[in-house]
Amino acid sequence: MKTRIDSVDDVTQSFARQGYICDARTALAVYLAAQLHKPVLVEGPPGVGKTELAKAAAAFLEAPLIRLQCYEGLDESRALYEWKYGKQLLYTQLLRDKLSGTLADTDSLEESMRRLGDLGEAFYSDTFLEPRPLLRALRADEPVVLLIDEIDKADQEFEAFLLELLSDFQISIPELGTVRARHQPLVFLTSNDQRELSDALKRRCLHLYIPYPDATLERRILAERVPELDDQLRDQLVDFIQHLREQDMKKLPAVSETLDWARALVLLHADSLEPELVEQTLTLVLKNEQDAELARELLPHWFRARRAR
Amino acid sequence: MAGRRLHEFVRALRGAGVRVSPVEAEEAFRAAALVGYGDRDRFRETLALTLVKSQAERPDFDRCFAAFFRFESADPEQDDGSDADHAGQATAAAPDPEALSGPAAELVAQSDTGLEQTLAQAAAEIDFTAMQVITQQGLFARRLLMNMGMGAVDDEILRLDASARPGDGERAEALRDWRGRVRERAMAHVRRQYDLHGRAHGRALREHSMQAAPFRELREFQQVQMLVRRMARRLARSHQRRQKKARRGALDARRTLAASLRYNAVPVQLHWRQRRRTRAKVLVVCDVSSSVRDAARFLLQFLYAMTDVLPRVRSFAFAARFDEVTDDFERYPPDVAVGRILDRVSGSGTDYGTMFKELEAACRGEIDRQTTLIILGDARNNDLPAGERHLADIARRARQVFWLNPEPPSRWNSGDAIMARYLPYCRAARRCGSLNDLRRFTDELLRNLNG
Repeated sequence: MKTRIDSVDDVTQSFARQGYICDARTALAVYLAAQLHKPVLVEGPPGVGKTELAKAAAAFLEAPLIRLQCYEGLDESRALYEWKYGKQLLYTQLLRDKLSGTLADTDSLEESMRRLGDLGEAFYSDTFLEPRPLLRALRADEPVVLLIDEIDKADQEFEAFLLELLSDFQISIPELGTVRARHQPLVFLTSNDQRELSDALKRRCLHLYIPYPDATLERRILAERVPELDDQLRDQLVDFIQHLREQDMKKLPAVSETLDWARALVLLHADSLEPELVEQTLTLVLKNEQDAELARELLPHWFRARRAR
Repeated sequence: MAGRRLHEFVRALRGAGVRVSPVEAEEAFRAAALVGYGDRDRFRETLALTLVKSQAERPDFDRCFAAFFRFESADPEQDDGSDADHAGQATAAAPDPEALSGPAAELVAQSDTGLEQTLAQAAAEIDFTAMQVITQQGLFARRLLMNMGMGAVDDEILRLDASARPGDGERAEALRDWRGRVRERAMAHVRRQYDLHGRAHGRALREHSMQAAPFRELREFQQVQMLVRRMARRLARSHQRRQKKARRGALDARRTLAASLRYNAVPVQLHWRQRRRTRAKVLVVCDVSSSVRDAARFLLQFLYAMTDVLPRVRSFAFAARFDEVTDDFERYPPDVAVGRILDRVSGSGTDYGTMFKELEAACRGEIDRQTTLIILGDARNNDLPAGERHLADIARRARQVFWLNPEPPSRWNSGDAIMARYLPYCRAARRCGSLNDLRRFTDELLRNLNG
């Protein structure tokens, strides 16, 4: 992992080289997180590049990315570690003869118990430990970027469990003792605001809100990601998307939808937005039928207003 | 110096309603030191990243930041008009320092920006966060002027007044004028500081009294909506956690055995029975005649703010007529909803007996052992038949009935109020006259439903 980050501009430039265009605030957040060793809680509407941010940060820091996807019912055994029960069982079966051999020359029950006790340690050792993302991040040989995706989908208990990890970067495993991070990972948590996160968690993180990009930023993103797109068409497209975002819709189009649409237009060899074209490809941008309906009604107005300009 | 300014900023921020813990403040100082103070935008974003933990608090932060750091701003354009005026005059009419003596001459000789700096330096030595009430402004302005060394100017004026030298009289006048303008400037600064710090203290006090004030008087407070939302959210959050914790039940022997077959009948994984979440249903009936209306509005607002922990609420309102209002509260902000409801049902002469009859007819199939009925009203029945028979019927089928009365218990049976007739069918009756009462009741209700 890169150990020296000179300035915020360093971050911005590296992100730009990777094709991740962001505003100053986002770069600042990554810079501060790396310098202060604080986790970043990234919030914002879906599709604005929250997960991408973690990937870009990993590439920037030249560190591997470990990702934990959260869902309802996620527990420690999926997130942290699990014992390989099957393997343990298989070993005891296969070693049965060996075991009875070991215990054959014992006279008393206590003696056998003691020998078994010594063996017990062997069964709860690294051989039988299945590390899950969190433990992998703590035990990694080099610093890593840890992405805990959609934390709002996980249960409250899991959030409470994460607190220990996020403040001290250590976790206790009853059989093995405390595992301390060899290198402190850079942690990103993302949330779609499905439920309110606890204050305790928020307190431990820097808070970054990524809104929908404004027109300038969105044009830059498009130019970077879909360079084949004609300049004029790009302006039209961004203008239209920005117009859509001002409407009262169930699901507003995000950056990812803009990109999908732009790629489709390139494939269709379009060179300007025409009503029929928009009509046909609208489903790429708006995934909800009611929203699409609303957009179709808006279309003529928008074209008229545009021509007037 | 920078550290203290930041501390003051954090205090101002807390005053504006943003919660900042000491650890976060410490974090913010470190971050600010790292990024530097040179670039105003970057400095602001740095503080925002470390101090603001939800997007909803961002506008408060921005307002606070703009108000707090305007004094430091090197660009006089950013000051608003009134201050700019003072700045213009102060130097224009400054008396000629040549004729004055000592420290007063030095002060007067300063350029406008120099004077501003002196003021800023003097201000930095004063702890404005101690300012709590509006009447302290004079005292703090006086301290500020003394810190600037204006005492020398006072002495100088006295000296000139007493002197018999020709022209000294006019000089004293000019100096008085100048002193007045500097004083105004100091006052303006103190006022801004009061806006930041004193208000914060006032706000805490006000919220405290809001929570205890009778609903009727709440209308006079502006931020009551925000407070209600915040109280409701806090309450909902505390119950969210409890609910999950209480759900794990006894060992599920059947599933554990079934799973153990995979491992040669060794119960490697234990399965627990999850206690079924109670599908609690809540029916709320609110009297919205003029005497109870305010309480009804807050009760409904509170209950609907808690959809996370209280999934199914059906609400009804009645005054002259009886109607379901669930939709109004789900779809519109509380103020609009109340307006719509009043249009439909308002009128005079509440009739509880008929209301119970209609309620029974409206949710005949729905009232069962999971149902909690909450009635909010003063039980003033205008001497009409009480109709407690219908309430008895409902109470028998429902899990429980709560009665909330905005009036104090001593008046529950005075005049045309007939609480005593309904009380036998209620699990409990509570007074609900202020936000504090409301919170206490909701807390009890949630504990009861989820426990």
